[in-house]
Amino acid sequence: MKCTLVATEGAEVLFYWTDEEFEESLRLKFSHSENEGEELPALEDQLSTLLAPLIISSMTMLEKLSDTYTCFSTENGKCLYVLHLFGECLFIAICGDSTEGEGDLRQQLRVLKYLFEVHFGLVTVDGQLIRKELRPPDLEQRVQVWEHFQSLLWTYSRLREQEQCFAVEAVERLIHPQLCELCIEALERHVIQAVNSSPARAGEEALHAFLLVHSKLLAFYSSHSASSLRPADLLALILLVQDLYPSEITADDDNTQPSLRRPWNSQNIPLQQTWNSRSSGPARSSAGTETDSFSLPEEYFTPAPSPGEQSSGSGSTVWLDGGTPPIDASQVQIAEDTLQMLIPGSPAVSSPRRIFLDASVKETYCPMVPHTMYCLPLWPGINMVLLTKSPSTPLALVLYQLLDGFSLLEKKLKEGQEAGSSLRSHPLMGDLRQRMDKFVKSRGGQEMQSTWLEFKTKAFSRSEPGSSWELLQACGKVKRQLCAIYRLSFLTTAPGRGGPQLPQHLQDQVQTLMQETLMDWKDFLLVKSRRNVTMVSYLEDFPGLVHFIYVDRSTGQMVAPSLSSSERTSSELGKGPLAAFVKTKVWSLIRLARRYLQKGYTTLLFQDGDFYCSYFLWFQNEMGYKLQIIEVPVLSDDSAPVGILGGDYYRKLLRYYSKGHPAEAVKCHELLALHLSVIPIDMLVQQVGELARRLWEASRVPLL
Amino acid sequence: MAASTSTETKSASWWNYFFLYDGSKVKEEGDPTRAGICYFYPSQTLLDQQELLCGQIAGVVHCISDISGSPPTLIRLRKLKFAIKVDGDYLWVLGCAVELPDVSCQQFLGQLIGFFNFYNGPVSLAYKNCSQEELSAEWDTFIEQILKNTSDLHKIFTSLWNLDRTKVEPLLLLKAALILQTCQRSPHVLAGCILYKGLIVSTQLPPSLTAKVLLHRAAPRDQRIPTAGDVLQECGVALPPNVHIIPVFVTEEEATCLSEFPGEQMTSSPASPARFQECSARHLPKGALTDDAPGPEESTARTWAASPGPRLPDAARSNGRGENGHFSGCDLGSIQPTTLHSAARHEDPGLGCSPGKEPGLSRGKEDVDLSEIHIPEAQETETSSGYLTSSVCVPDGPGPCLKESISKESVNDSGNPEPRPPRAPPVGTAIRGLSPSAPDKLTQNGALEQRKDLPGDSSQAPSRRSRPLSLPHLDLRQRGAKLPLGGQGTEPCVDGVPENHPDSGLECQSSSADSLGNAPFADSTGSRLTPASRGGLVRKNLYTHSVKGLVLSLLAEEPLLGDSAAIEEVYHSSLASLNGLEVHLKETLPKDQPTAASRTYNFVHYDRIQNVLAANVPQVATPQDHRFLHAVSLMHADFAQLPSLYEMTARNASTAVYACCNPVQETYFQQLASAARSSGFPSPQDGVFSLPGRAKQKLLKHGVNLL
Repeated sequence: MKCTLVATEGAEVLFYWTDEEFEESLRLKFSHSENEGEELPALEDQLSTLLAPLIISSMTMLEKLSDTYTCFSTENGKCLYVLHLFGECLFIAICGDSTEGEGDLRQQLRVLKYLFEVHFGLVTVDGQLIRKELRPPDLEQRVQVWEHFQSLLWTYSRLREQEQCFAVEAVERLIHPQLCELCIEALERHVIQAVNSSPARAGEEALHAFLLVHSKLLAFYSSHSASSLRPADLLALILLVQDLYPSEITADDDNTQPSLRRPWNSQNIPLQQTWNSRSSGPARSSAGTETDSFSLPEEYFTPAPSPGEQSSGSGSTVWLDGGTPPIDASQVQIAEDTLQMLIPGSPAVSSPRRIFLDASVKETYCPMVPHTMYCLPLWPGINMVLLTKSPSTPLALVLYQLLDGFSLLEKKLKEGQEAGSSLRSHPLMGDLRQRMDKFVKSRGGQEMQSTWLEFKTKAFSRSEPGSSWELLQACGKVKRQLCAIYRLSFLTTAPGRGGPQLPQHLQDQVQTLMQETLMDWKDFLLVKSRRNVTMVSYLEDFPGLVHFIYVDRSTGQMVAPSLSSSERTSSELGKGPLAAFVKTKVWSLIRLARRYLQKGYTTLLFQDGDFYCSYFLWFQNEMGYKLQIIEVPVLSDDSAPVGILGGDYYRKLLRYYSKGHPAEAVKCHELLALHLSVIPIDMLVQQVGELARRLWEASRVPLL
Repeated sequence: MAASTSTETKSASWWNYFFLYDGSKVKEEGDPTRAGICYFYPSQTLLDQQELLCGQIAGVVHCISDISGSPPTLIRLRKLKFAIKVDGDYLWVLGCAVELPDVSCQQFLGQLIGFFNFYNGPVSLAYKNCSQEELSAEWDTFIEQILKNTSDLHKIFTSLWNLDRTKVEPLLLLKAALILQTCQRSPHVLAGCILYKGLIVSTQLPPSLTAKVLLHRAAPRDQRIPTAGDVLQECGVALPPNVHIIPVFVTEEEATCLSEFPGEQMTSSPASPARFQECSARHLPKGALTDDAPGPEESTARTWAASPGPRLPDAARSNGRGENGHFSGCDLGSIQPTTLHSAARHEDPGLGCSPGKEPGLSRGKEDVDLSEIHIPEAQETETSSGYLTSSVCVPDGPGPCLKESISKESVNDSGNPEPRPPRAPPVGTAIRGLSPSAPDKLTQNGALEQRKDLPGDSSQAPSRRSRPLSLPHLDLRQRGAKLPLGGQGTEPCVDGVPENHPDSGLECQSSSADSLGNAPFADSTGSRLTPASRGGLVRKNLYTHSVKGLVLSLLAEEPLLGDSAAIEEVYHSSLASLNGLEVHLKETLPKDQPTAASRTYNFVHYDRIQNVLAANVPQVATPQDHRFLHAVSLMHADFAQLPSLYEMTARNASTAVYACCNPVQETYFQQLASAARSSGFPSPQDGVFSLPGRAKQKLLKHGVNLL
């Protein structure tokens, strides 16, 4: 019983996602109340009808009490509603089966909002425009947009449940220095340099290129002119890739592989094919894993099951066979259903895709800079991602700065500062006016010009200065115009919608080159991604240690032994129920550690059943010297949960800590460990310390 | 630490709103929201604001119920959180600061509702029979008491107030337990508790009931409610001085729990002495279980105790609420003030003055009494004293025998004019149980008529009396239908057929059918119960006897009110011992708290079964104490949620807190010495990891064994 909804103040549905159970419960409700034979209202209308009192009440409370609902829970937290107001949009997440806690739901809402930003950039600033984007008047288009985000949400939930990197929100590296070096070199020469030196690139400039094996990062290369990519953005990109080409831990033979390889190379990958590959993708992806793992003597593994028992049914059957819990299976079904409804060539989902990421433009930090993302699958489970920027990037910076200025002005007006003369003489105002004049002169259309003129008369007219309310109105109009220009420049002419993009032959070329480079390694990589860090040596050195996750928050990367509870593949912890049990312990440790970090605790040690769970967060400088811990801010329950996708907690934490250490580069690390509870505490602490030391040494191997 | 706290009474920053909203009054479009507001705290809230909150909250509660099939129990805003309880058309809402843990917020609400039901019966009925103003005054009193007595720690645990056992002579605790057991042997009496200055000395009641009884002594109820004394005096039955008997309502679970007490068993089953022991032994762990199991409902009903001041009945009078009028007309009024005033004077300064009243009666005798107990049982009492105070959680063993042997002594020593053998002759008891039933009804009727004529009480008296009369029928109907065994012990005397009860629930049903036939009682008073009205409440009597700071509260079957012989018996069997206990408690209890300077650590030890705390956190918290409380509230919530969690250590830059728990208790420990700042990197030299060891060592002297 799950539902996620985005609505306007007037209870107009901007987006929704429900699972089948919730849909069914809605159907039951409405079939009772409606007359016989009458058609049930559309799902979005049902939702709007049901939730309208809640939405309107929360707006009323905000208006009258300057406070609004953040959470509802029924008896024993069985049914949970989490609400958050972002700008003018109310986000609601409902979970009716106590499978998810408040933190999970809150995080989900934040991630959804973040995904909107990645897709629509600064258009999200304006309530009216984002409404148009999320709820296009054209029904067909609306279905496409919603289905795209429904699929993303579903992918996110799946990854958070299954992948440690999404559970702790850090990028997981594949540890293999030699291969890594090879790949970086290839990415530099065959991808970035090849693209940027090609005359056919049509102004597009390749900035970053990276290789993913399933959801793990193999190698990353940025051009010299590019600014660095935030870990949060990188993780979001991995989410997008996983949504396009999901990888599942299942076993199947690779009969299907040759025939299915072609679509990857074809020009605009039609959606239908994407979906085909999606449903059979899982089968293929793990095929390599199982068959080739025999040839890797350095890895510790248990033999794979014989191929005979593998089924070659439909995608969902394969997933079921793969030991995915029934809940997931039903979700898969939903996801596939929705996908089949998509029209081939839908601009929203195809690759290349317009995305908005934080970057530095001309040495200035600028959020949500338009990029083009090319996802080039090399083999099932192995993808290359290329990020380019268009020549119009500087415009994004100008627009951002203007919007930022007007937002600041709006804030001041709302705070009740006197309009008119004091405002006119404000340094911010003069600067803004100058820049705006310049911008309107060079770019503004008819409408922009008149809006700006109107604002100027209200703000700067000596004879009859407008009231602050009037100014606010005018300010809002200018902002909307700016957003509209942003939208026109970056969204309407997005690559997916016929905007400029790298020619297909160039894409094919880099794809082929990378395939050639990695051909000998691909099978190894697929196995490696499932057995990243083997526990064998750790088990010997740290008796009693069951599992650990080590995170470098400065780079946003994590290392951990693999943890897969699938029937087919076994991790170091064995397979099936035991691994699944350990997994639940690890997930609950992550949840509790986050909760305590949110409340200001940086060390946590607790005994849960037969396990000791420990969590440590510390700061150190580049040389590994440990710095003194500080009081970490205590956050409220409705603040952004600890993580990077929904608010980038660690980035803020590092900035906060660095204030007291301006001289040195501060690094932040986390270590989560699971021990058997028979281990004495002092021994446990000693082990964890030693483990952290070793992992730090290992992590100094260059990757980027 | 268990002393009552601060001065914050009104406008506590953490307690923002409380309201009761009757949705049935706002059905039509045009109905104003204000029509449904039964009670709103704080009362000075603008009506518009009241309407906004009631309307909006009621609206979303309805909306959520619609979608999820069950109403929300908690609504959180950015700066506020509301605990919600839906009871038919009624909606109870408590708004607290967002810092208060969710569970506590819900428990406070449960407690408030519990108090109200205990003293006033089901809410629908209460509002039918009493005016809104009266009940609002009642709510005000409850809230005031809660706010006055709730410290930071109690906000986290919503625990009961108890005496620090380590500071009291164990023999005194034993003596208190004995007094209770003695009283239990009197007819009608089920179980009880003894409080000293609002703190629990000994209790036989489940925590939820103890909480309610605690608050009664705190609340100056007798200013409005006709005391049993008045009633009885009108019809010729005099209550002993300082004794009050009022009708109260317990939940069905509580009634079941009460009916299993040894005393009751003895009355109803004239079996062998072994039976008694068996019962008591069986009951004790069961009581523990019933408290543990029922979950939030049950455990929400917890308590605060009184501060010494207004807890005394007369203190309320001196508050000048202006409702004293009706007392002047009563004989009781002339008897009580002298005793109570003197009691109050002696109690507040607490300087060990000799008791102002009845000195001859108690002092000398009490010393004898105690010493006599002491000599024969010295060995055993030393070892088992702890247990006796915590009578609810004692599992088994030599307990009952010990109690019995002691109780013989104490009964004999207590100066009871008619010493009764510890095991009352079954037949005699049965007769006693049987005989009062008819007169009782008469008495009640008589009282009813008399009350109507009283000038000062004309508004409330009739309804007050009518409720007790009508309610049992409701209960019977309900229990007959779904819980045949549950209420056995509750009805023995009403029907006058006590012989039937031990045998089967079938008999009970038939007898309940009998009493259904008595419905005219209810009709005559004009308060007819609709089947829809909430029930699950069983009527009992609450007997309270205060001796200065000491209060004996007993829950009894209803016939007690009319049975002057039984009242006399309870009174005389306990009077001398109570006086003695009071004097000894006053002398032994330390007056001052340990000073902050002497502390090197903080600890909290929470008894999950009895819902009591032991702690050394001072009233005025230092920043370090606040950090401790912050950690405790977080960890307490996690212990409640994750049953497999045993031990926990959390550390931030300025403090580290160790906690451990098992099914019956939770312990929290913080070292106060400022540790050298560390990096947070895992290192065995880090003092954080030696906390468990230190906790084990330090807490031993507080009687907390973590080994």
